[in-house]
Amino acid sequence: MNSETDMLEQKEILEKLFRQNYSEMIHLASVLLGDDEEAADVVQDIFLKMADSDLMPKNDWYLLTAVRNACLNRIRQMRLHEQVKRLLPIEAETDLQPIEKQLERFDDIAAYVDEQLEEPHRSIFHLRFDNDLTIAEIARQLHLNPNTTYKYLTQSIQKIRQHFKH
Amino acid sequence: MDTSIRQLLEMLDNPEAYSEQEIREIINRDEETRETYRLMVKAKRSSRHRQTGNPVDVDAAWQQLNNKVSHSSHFTLHTSRFKIAASFVGVLLLSGIALAAIRSLTSDSTPKVEESENTLVSDTVKQVTTSLSPLKKQERTPVTYDNMPLEKMLTEIANHYEVKVTFQNDELRTLRFRFVWNPQKDIRQVVSDLNQFERLTVTFKDNQIIVE
Repeated sequence: MNSETDMLEQKEILEKLFRQNYSEMIHLASVLLGDDEEAADVVQDIFLKMADSDLMPKNDWYLLTAVRNACLNRIRQMRLHEQVKRLLPIEAETDLQPIEKQLERFDDIAAYVDEQLEEPHRSIFHLRFDNDLTIAEIARQLHLNPNTTYKYLTQSIQKIRQHFKH
Repeated sequence: MDTSIRQLLEMLDNPEAYSEQEIREIINRDEETRETYRLMVKAKRSSRHRQTGNPVDVDAAWQQLNNKVSHSSHFTLHTSRFKIAASFVGVLLLSGIALAAIRSLTSDSTPKVEESENTLVSDTVKQVTTSLSPLKKQERTPVTYDNMPLEKMLTEIANHYEVKVTFQNDELRTLRFRFVWNPQKDIRQVVSDLNQFERLTVTFKDNQIIVE
């Protein structure tokens, strides 16, 4: 088999891997980085490097792990202000659960919030984490006192922490 | 309400109003505040995980990648380098120079730790004989090998676990790919990770990493 045939074969394998895994990889990168454009950049970069390799991975496990590692690397290089603005980890994450377990935990948190938090705690939580509103903005929207809003958000966070403490 | 948590929430509403030192002091005030921040990170990720974003246009994304690959001639460039690398390494192995060079090097150079994703792939044939100091045992952060020849990569990994490497097929020595090695993992787990790649069968037996 000549090198040109090898190249075409590699490219076909790359395209297949891309089409099968791109959506899932983008989603994971978006979740970890908190930015869709940056997520797309990370995933494209991974495939560009694979295009330059001799070996292709057999399955999606490698690709998702590569996404996570690339995202952690990007986060580590960010300014602290950017990290906290996007609510990203500020310390190196070295002890990592399997990716599927991490995503399951995110599902569990969402389920707990929707099923166990009462109003206005639930709304405050969603406005803070889904809509990125400040406490003052949330208080205005829900016609609450800012101090009360702080209190309710703190209570929700503490309740969730207690529930998931092992 | 706990003042440190309140301070944390206030800071997160307007981080630009604080210096880096102040931010770190607020988050690290005590274990509870640290845990609260970690939980908020997870809550934010949970929110993104649940929210369905815009549908992904895989076709457009593939086209974009395809254009980048074509423009940079990755396949062509790599094929030429591969041929040069393969023939040069072949000569070195026959004469035993490579093995002697690797053994004799005692550099204290800083072990390579996970680098920026923007680092260009620049590993050339010359680097086969450059300093290969064993990774210090205290270095536990994951190491990213970006298109490094398999032989060089496994030499470093094997040194860390104090095991040997044997190649059943010499062609595999110069294979390049991207691999992230976590030194905290057991050698068997690392071998399992390597087996995630096509064309590569790696086993660990009698204190040896065997590549076929």
